[in-house]
Amino acid sequence: MSEFFHMGGFGAYIWSAMGAAVFLMLLEPILLVMKRRSVLQEVKRGKRLEERRKRDLQQ
Amino acid sequence: MNFYSLAGKMIPFFWMAAIALIAIGLYWGFFKTADVLNDQKQYYRIIYVHVASAWMAMWLYAVMVFWAMVGLIFNTRLSYMMASATAITGTIMTLIALITGAIWGKTSWGTWWDWDPKLTTFLILLFVYIGYIALQSAIDDTRRSDKASALLALVGLALVPVIYYAVNCPDPNQCASLHQESSLKRVESNILIGMLVTTLGFWMYSFATILMRVRNIILERERKTSWVSKLKETS
Repeated sequence: MSEFFHMGGFGAYIWSAMGAAVFLMLLEPILLVMKRRSVLQEVKRGKRLEERRKRDLQQ
Repeated sequence: MNFYSLAGKMIPFFWMAAIALIAIGLYWGFFKTADVLNDQKQYYRIIYVHVASAWMAMWLYAVMVFWAMVGLIFNTRLSYMMASATAITGTIMTLIALITGAIWGKTSWGTWWDWDPKLTTFLILLFVYIGYIALQSAIDDTRRSDKASALLALVGLALVPVIYYAVNCPDPNQCASLHQESSLKRVESNILIGMLVTTLGFWMYSFATILMRVRNIILERERKTSWVSKLKETS
């Protein structure tokens, strides 16, 4: 097993290349989910404001 | 069903396909192949992520230009949103190709970077992607920013044949190049399988992230419409 990770002495290169790809390809969806949450929050806030405005107009 | 909810239903399937294909591709590439290959030792295995991301970087640029063109011709808002959703995933793919390429270059050529035609044109591709994103976010009016950045994407299309000829140089005497030709015929079949399956996995990943991003963009731009306020997730 350790021989596999050693990769004939090139382990550091191979695994850092893989690691960079994995890091970026995990970071992207995480940022997308965070963005979705903040956009949804924004939409909900806008809705609440709109409802309050309507209520105020009726009174 | 509108595009927004259809995309939402498709995203989990693209994620599953991406994870499965990348796992199979890398398994095949690491366990079914020889350790040493002509003059390349184990480090040639960087090829799986390098080629997959480089192909996707170029392909996604073509996809982005396609959506930008559809937007310019038919003036459809969704195609502009698709174009800008594609740009960031394309940037990520270009970055991965450049980083893994540098690491592979260090082991294979003894240098992280060289101003060889292939590497240089790819760096310019990264700058064009970044320029597109920057231009779009610099203009507040979305209709104008969509149009301006779509034009920039079209101009950048001139890069694609340059990149192509930088790798598949017609006359080797005219282009000094460290980067090898990308001739699929010379690649050993097990490596080719690993490469192609990983690429397919990266493609599915791109579908998943682009759809996630376009959904965010739709929500952001249409947040004042009644269909968005009727959505389950906004109640």
